Amino acid sequence: MAVDSPLAPAGTPRFRLMATKPNQEQIVLLITIALVTAFGLTLNGFATLTNLLNLLRSISILGILGLGMGLIVISRGIDLSEVAIMAGPWAIALIKIQQGMPIGWACLLALGLAIVIGIVNGVMVAFVEAPALFVTLAAGFVIYGLAFWFAPAYVVYAPTDAPALLFLGAGRVFGIPVPILVFAAAAIAMQLFLSLTSVGRFIYAQGDNPEAARLSGIALRPLIMLEYVLVALLAWTAGLVWIGTTGSMQMQITQSTMIFDVVLVVVIGGISLVGGRGSVFSVVVGCILIGTLLNAFTIMDVNSEVQNIIKGIVLLGAIVLDNWLHPRDEETARQGD
Amino acid sequence: MIIGRMWTAAVIGLALAVPPLMVSAQEEGGTKTARELRSAYDKALQGKTIAFLPIALNVPLMDEWTRVVKEEAEWRGMKFVVRDPNNNPSAMQQALTALVDQKPDVLIVQNPSVTLLMKELKRAESQGTYVVQINMSSNYKSSAFVGADWHEVGKILAQDVVKQCGTGSGKSGKVQIVQGELAAAASVDQVGGVMEVLNKDPAIKVVSNQAANWDANTALNITATVIQQHPDLCASIGFWGIMESGAAQAIRNAGKINDVKVHASGEGSQLDCDQVNQGNFYKFLSYKATEQGHDLMMAAQTLLESGEKPGARNLEYYTQPLWIDKTNANGGNCYALPKK
Repeated sequence: MAVDSPLAPAGTPRFRLMATKPNQEQIVLLITIALVTAFGLTLNGFATLTNLLNLLRSISILGILGLGMGLIVISRGIDLSEVAIMAGPWAIALIKIQQGMPIGWACLLALGLAIVIGIVNGVMVAFVEAPALFVTLAAGFVIYGLAFWFAPAYVVYAPTDAPALLFLGAGRVFGIPVPILVFAAAAIAMQLFLSLTSVGRFIYAQGDNPEAARLSGIALRPLIMLEYVLVALLAWTAGLVWIGTTGSMQMQITQSTMIFDVVLVVVIGGISLVGGRGSVFSVVVGCILIGTLLNAFTIMDVNSEVQNIIKGIVLLGAIVLDNWLHPRDEETARQGD
Repeated sequence: MIIGRMWTAAVIGLALAVPPLMVSAQEEGGTKTARELRSAYDKALQGKTIAFLPIALNVPLMDEWTRVVKEEAEWRGMKFVVRDPNNNPSAMQQALTALVDQKPDVLIVQNPSVTLLMKELKRAESQGTYVVQINMSSNYKSSAFVGADWHEVGKILAQDVVKQCGTGSGKSGKVQIVQGELAAAASVDQVGGVMEVLNKDPAIKVVSNQAANWDANTALNITATVIQQHPDLCASIGFWGIMESGAAQAIRNAGKINDVKVHASGEGSQLDCDQVNQGNFYKFLSYKATEQGHDLMMAAQTLLESGEKPGARNLEYYTQPLWIDKTNANGGNCYALPKK
């Protein structure tokens, strides 16, 4: 403390400089608006209502997963098993439906499995105090293996005569595809939870400085458990939308780069990997940016190698921006204990 | 009529009387030859080990190969070993090294790339193991290759698309291609064959040529945009049934499933036939996994019976692709998925 005091005058202008820097969400929002305008003017068929609905529908699953990942990254954690939680329990549930289990029970089974995985992840991170990165990476492999054990199929099909099961993915309300509405509802609920409830504020406090949060009386361990269970719930919801959209569940997606797309939309939108920063709006903006790029690439028929290059550069740019806006220092670089 | 009936009665009577006579005739000489042949056959095959290394199990295609080869090998008194590297190239290399060290008599390998497993395959043949490559070959020419000729599959797909959408069809000529992975040989060779044919017809325009990485959801997202950009799309070509079902769903969602001719190639399981029968696929080009499984066993058997040095010859067993549409998407043309 004594060492700090001579530096205090210097700290004030630095703080002012930080305040004048634009927020990452705002930058990304501006870039997105610029891109949408540019594509709208130059690309035939981009700025039509059907295309924009298409664009939003194509990012809704990513967005729902992104909300969960956003939550956990705000708390300074990460969950690399999220895509596996989406696929594994649902693959098992669909196999059970094929074997004759009533659809309602199968959905509850998937829900139960997802929650159990969330609890296990939470216990490993909160009580065993293993790093979230490795716990969830390992959990992803375990889920993949176990799901294959119970449901050994590359792709499991949903029954085609179950409108209730497929509604969230395939339905339309007033012409709007339901996945968009699910994403919107989940985003609003998450925003209200994070900004209006004390538990939501605690999550920010934990991400900002876990030690300080604990010293101020927040029960960190139950909080961490809750966060991992919430991620699992969102993954379950995303799975329900996925099944409605494709009529099936493919375990192979857990082995694909999809989980990195989820991290991508979260980080681009300004949810900093050092925790405590960003909001639901960041996820929405990040998703819309990625969705806009993918949609425009498809219209322009750019091949997926080039798409990957651009996606990688966008991610790098976001991380550099994050580093510039939130430089790591002694205080924020310390991982929570 | 009466004479006709008498003839029938006579033929039936003879048919009933002849078998006992034939049996006695066989015991004289026929069965001896048959037994000698069978014992030579058994000597060549019985107790031999046949090892199988696919890219992954639990995929309809590889599961069917495994089922057929295992069943046929066991009937011949052969030992069957299978390893599942689960899409992991380094696990596959390790599994192959371990398998080669066990010196099986025949080794069936599905190559993920043309170079990855080359060295080990060469080593296997030099130590006396026959190597049979299935569907995806490597740069090493081993004793046998069984599988589809991807270039040909692509050409056959495109020829039908040209018939539906090309000059004189009165259609827009707009075609979408949904590739698997850009780097996968199955995708590269099929797209080569497709383009070779499509480029010859000036009426055909490829409006989208994208990779969906074998994933139905990605195919759906791409196709949803393509069909809305090009409502007069004439055909969609996809390089795998399960992936292309996503594209078909996007076209169905857009209300165009009766206008757009959805073409796909694949192994021909019940899943593919369901898509044809539900009207999602206009036509499906099957390379018949069941038959390929049988061909694998034929290749292994031929090599073992020949007794030649591994690598002395390169036998080829190409699979004849079969068009499946609503008229024949049933019975033996669609193999059932194994019960889980």
